Amino acid sequence: MSRFTDPLTGADAVGDPTAPELTDGIDGAGESATASARDEEAVNKTGTTTVGIATEEGVVVATDMRASLGGRFVSNKSVQKVEQIHPTGVLTLVGSVGGAQSFIRTLRSEADLYEVRKGEPMSIHGLSTLAGNFARGGPFFAINPILAGVDEEGSHVYSIDPAGGVMADDYTVTGSGMQLAYGTIEGAYDREMSMAEARDLAVRAVEAASERDTGSGNGVYVAEVTDEGVDIEGFDDTAAALAE
Amino acid sequence: MQDQNQQAYDRGMTIFSPDGRLYQVEYAREAIKRGTASVGVRTADGVVLAADRQVRSPLIEEQSIEKLHRIDDHIAVASAGHVADARQLVDFAREQAQVNRLRYDEPIGVESLAKEVTDYIQRYTQSGGVRPFGVALAIGGVDPDGTPKLFETDPSGTPYEWQATAIGGNRESLMGFLEDEYRPGRDLDSGIALALETLAESDEDGEIDPEAVEVTVVDTETHRVRSLDAETIGSHLAELDLDGETDE
Repeated sequence: MSRFTDPLTGADAVGDPTAPELTDGIDGAGESATASARDEEAVNKTGTTTVGIATEEGVVVATDMRASLGGRFVSNKSVQKVEQIHPTGVLTLVGSVGGAQSFIRTLRSEADLYEVRKGEPMSIHGLSTLAGNFARGGPFFAINPILAGVDEEGSHVYSIDPAGGVMADDYTVTGSGMQLAYGTIEGAYDREMSMAEARDLAVRAVEAASERDTGSGNGVYVAEVTDEGVDIEGFDDTAAALAE
Repeated sequence: MQDQNQQAYDRGMTIFSPDGRLYQVEYAREAIKRGTASVGVRTADGVVLAADRQVRSPLIEEQSIEKLHRIDDHIAVASAGHVADARQLVDFAREQAQVNRLRYDEPIGVESLAKEVTDYIQRYTQSGGVRPFGVALAIGGVDPDGTPKLFETDPSGTPYEWQATAIGGNRESLMGFLEDEYRPGRDLDSGIALALETLAESDEDGEIDPEAVEVTVVDTETHRVRSLDAETIGSHLAELDLDGETDE
């Protein structure tokens, strides 16, 4: 890409903006090339309903707990589909479990590396740009996560599509149960709502999808992110996840 | 005898001498001293970079002697030493600045850019078949959060941060002048004045031809690199009585 090469290694001396610095070639590089040749029936998919809601105070993310094979068999009933990747940021697993897990590991290490180099955490907008670049040009395939977090600019929710599209919103849903979850949220959302109200709305949205979408169910994980940090908790019973 | 023994550490590639020195890096610093001076001054309102153009002949087109370079909207560089080497580092810095925008959709921090450049310089002190860069850069700019910053790169690949610094020929005496005259909290205009006064220290008569000096500022208000034209520089010089014209 660049005309500057490292005189020691001969490698490109200017970083590739679309590739991870650390895991390129190690953690699933070339996966996209071979993905179509894989037996899609044998790849674990999250199916999934993941919800992200932004408020003035912070963001709430709720995810169901089901993994499935070909959308017909429940291969796991206790998947944590929201993970911390930044001091005040989380990402959801949506799509291929392998692709999503690899994506999370990579973004987490990139965010850590950025923070230790620059002495301050990455902005959520910066993280979303990086995530979009990786989804588009990197070695990850078939993922459709939500990135949610808080920084100096406020609360942010982004959806990231498999082709690298990054869209900011007040609330967003991804996964096979998205239409059911959106139905719950439309009209009920208010940017001024409290974290507890947002939590209830997010859980109810996942609950609705769990009732009717065969790819979603088996409980809910809830992540609350504020400028103080990230708090993630799992509940087999969705009702228990509602704010007291 | 000592000299002969040391010659083996003195050429070919950058390896340690028995007393722990890297002669090639030290020679590169000598190359920088042969260049004309550049000055960087950090103020509360932004960073000032000023450079002396060495005009060897009245026939040369002065604007073709470039010692100040814009790297990105918010960062500029002053160079001293080998112009050709400087151009390589300037273009490397420009690419890195754009990579940061592509990667994070954010302007690169001045410190991050300085460290990318010095890391690149360092590789040329630890590889076979290459020589170090015979150039020093003063990297000035405004961080995305509005903080003005000034860094210097050295042929060893060490980054230094300064409130004010001089690179190139006559450095010691210019640094002495800056150390005496620098005050934190200056505004941009008084930073420009200090930079010009410092450059004038290099001139025997303490005079500067406005055509023979370049001045670039990056201010905290606009976060933009702005080059001053000769007329503006001239009026600064007249105010400072550095233009060689006698006031009546």
